[in-house]
Amino acid sequence: MSAPEVVRVSAPTPPSSPDPSVTTPPALSLTGVTKSFGPVHALKGVSLQLGRGEVLGLIGENGAGKSTLLKVLSGVHEPDSGALEVNGKPVRLRSPEDAARAGVGIVHQEQSLLTNLSVAENIAMTSGSRAKAATRFGVYRWGHLNRVAAQVLARIGVDVDPRTTVGDLSFVDRQMVEIARALQVDTGAHASPVLILDEPTSLLERDETAVLEREIRSLREIGSVVFVSHRLDEVLRICDRVVVMRHGEVVGDRRTSEVTEDELFRLMVGRDSRATPSERRSREDGGTAVLQVEGLTRGHAFRDVSFSVPAGTTTAIVGTNGSGREEVVRAVFGAEPFSSGSLRVAGKDVGSWSVASAVRAGVAYIPSERRVEGMVGGLSAAENLVLTHPGEAKKGPLLRPRARRRVAETWFEDLDVRPRQPELALERFSGGNQQKVVLAKWLSSPDLKVLVLDHPLRGLDPGASETVNAQIRAACARGTAVVLLPDTLEEALELGDEIIVMRDGEVTARFDTSRETPTALDLLEKMV
Amino acid sequence: MKGLTTVTDVLTPPAATAGRSQRARRGHGRLRSSGEVIALLVLLLVFTLLNPGTFATLTNARTVLDQAALPLVVGVGATLVILMGSIDLSVEGVMGAAGMTFVLLSANSRGGESHGALALVAALAVGLLIGLLTALIHTRLRVPTFIASLGVWYIGLGVATLLYGTEGIPNFSDPATANWASRLLLGLPHSFWLAAAVVVLGLLVGRYTRLGRSAYALGADERIARDNGVRAARTKVLVFVVAGGCSALAGVLASLQLGAGSVTLGAGTLFLTIAAVVIGGTSLGGGRGGVARTALGVLLLTVLNNGLILSGVSPNIQSAVSGAVLIGAIVAAAWPHRSRLRVVK
Repeated sequence: MSAPEVVRVSAPTPPSSPDPSVTTPPALSLTGVTKSFGPVHALKGVSLQLGRGEVLGLIGENGAGKSTLLKVLSGVHEPDSGALEVNGKPVRLRSPEDAARAGVGIVHQEQSLLTNLSVAENIAMTSGSRAKAATRFGVYRWGHLNRVAAQVLARIGVDVDPRTTVGDLSFVDRQMVEIARALQVDTGAHASPVLILDEPTSLLERDETAVLEREIRSLREIGSVVFVSHRLDEVLRICDRVVVMRHGEVVGDRRTSEVTEDELFRLMVGRDSRATPSERRSREDGGTAVLQVEGLTRGHAFRDVSFSVPAGTTTAIVGTNGSGREEVVRAVFGAEPFSSGSLRVAGKDVGSWSVASAVRAGVAYIPSERRVEGMVGGLSAAENLVLTHPGEAKKGPLLRPRARRRVAETWFEDLDVRPRQPELALERFSGGNQQKVVLAKWLSSPDLKVLVLDHPLRGLDPGASETVNAQIRAACARGTAVVLLPDTLEEALELGDEIIVMRDGEVTARFDTSRETPTALDLLEKMV
Repeated sequence: MKGLTTVTDVLTPPAATAGRSQRARRGHGRLRSSGEVIALLVLLLVFTLLNPGTFATLTNARTVLDQAALPLVVGVGATLVILMGSIDLSVEGVMGAAGMTFVLLSANSRGGESHGALALVAALAVGLLIGLLTALIHTRLRVPTFIASLGVWYIGLGVATLLYGTEGIPNFSDPATANWASRLLLGLPHSFWLAAAVVVLGLLVGRYTRLGRSAYALGADERIARDNGVRAARTKVLVFVVAGGCSALAGVLASLQLGAGSVTLGAGTLFLTIAAVVIGGTSLGGGRGGVARTALGVLLLTVLNNGLILSGVSPNIQSAVSGAVLIGAIVAAAWPHRSRLRVVK
């Protein structure tokens, strides 16, 4: 605890270095920031401060509001209310450019490099004085550009030729270039730049993580860092302070020297809920497995994943971002490839697997990116509903609009979709009602065997969640095998007959809730 | 568990994998462009053997280079536009309007005096303005470039028709102007030297200017490019203005080659140019390719056309052959990626 003090006293302090305790304003300060998306309150009055030269850890379960907070900080979303201050000055960040100008840089979880340009260009292109120096009267100074990039890369110990095209680099090298780009924050323009790292280590190998940790710690000298990670040991090692978020609120703010992993766990999960004992028949006598997954593998994404789902039961897969669970279920639906392992649906080996053959075999998939993957927004709700399984709405090659309307009206009634206008374009419905239509599209299959649900309740209000949940339970009762990626651990504990925990592409634990009732903490321990 | 992970880490040294993939990818890139060079050499060889004494002559080389000049000039602008992932269909309209402007402001058979260099400046200005118009319709009114430039194509033709009026065909009355394009400099026609200068400028813009690099960036991913500080609207406007200027210069060159003004002097140039850009290996999706590749594509198509004529192939079949070559080249270019193309529109 006293160690940093000693260092500060004994090290030759640069004269410009501000004393963080008294006069200088915090590098970043948020007061009562709120943000809602429709009925969903993503941020409910978040206040936090980031001191100069401080490394602040930000943790929380999926859906706790971390990503929304980061988007507010990086100018992607404007908050509904609340105030933001950078270096004591009130700011409005309306765009990523605004944020960059204010001195807030972010390394996103997804890579944002231009793969057809060289490493040097990607590093120097960001606005700032370096970019200006890279061109003179609009003409590139390649030599200068490459030298600057080489320096930045050397600083973080990456052995990459700045002239290489980014597309030719391995994934890990690209991640390092991404970090290098964010690290070359302009120390001249901003008294204390703020760097946000959104799970920068989730895709890195161990030795590279060590390089990054060292670099983050050395960043203290020029600015402040917000470090988002799911790996608690890392957060405790790297950060000075940790802020814990849950349900859109800050529920804990601790110095890392005074907190344990266990305490952080508890703060993240809140009330430690326990699995509802499965009342259904035990898995052993539960008839044949409808879905059998054996040794499913694809490179680094997921390795040797096996599970089987008997008829009428739900398998919930939990894990953090980057755990590979999304990739696994997308592979089960044929939307992504897998390199080895086998998939059996209703006892039949699927052989060459694609979305089309998955649908024919009776597999349904509710994607998390509903707007992009789950629906054709411009078509009417009724057309979306009968898109996959037309049933009566099609006779021979001809579509029958009146029958389609009848089918749609029945579903609208059953699922309480509002407004009751099946001919309205689906994109004009609210999120919850869109999700009901997407669900109905699959439930209308005459031969539904496996229902794969990727965050089915994401962004839904409680009423819509209840309807969707009831339909899932009903499908389950009819003998459908359900694979669920829940939004929260509570959801997994409530619905899962089996709960599978994944981390870094591997299964780390599995719980059969008919025999044991794990708590959220038990799951979390295996996740991070 | 931890032990296991460490073992995996040791087994996959990232640097080695990166090195391997780099070499593989680079090698592939070299192969792709050398493919076109080989195709060109094969064509040259085949036509030389098929047409002894007529194909491989200095006179024919001059003819080929003179014919290549027009698509080369247009191709530089078209390449920059296509690199951004946009398309400029207004080429032939701009050529008509600019060519007509040039003829009418030069000494011509309809009378009127020569305005000398002013004619050239005015013609280029017409092209720049039309390019600006396309760009503003696209960036301000948010109309896709395909539609914006399609409309502007016909606006250009309309301008040319208005300028043409109702009198007779305006011919250049100064013989020095009328045969400028085919006169020789260092053994090669003027038209070729003009095109070569434009190509060199295009190469420099693509490689060494913020404008060119921004075009590449926008073509790769406009959202990411914007987030990286690329000024999207400004780049688009400038690139379309440059493309308009190239088309206008091509219009001037076409009228010089023809020796007269014509509303439709650009007919056929659009197809030839876009085909050359694509055959050269510039992706229609944007982000990949370049001016050098386009120049190679133009030479390939021009040699092909010229060779087919010399070999006695009917002109009626030639356009079918060009079309088939275009499709064949695109299939060949996309072949390694075909499994990754999930949606083709």
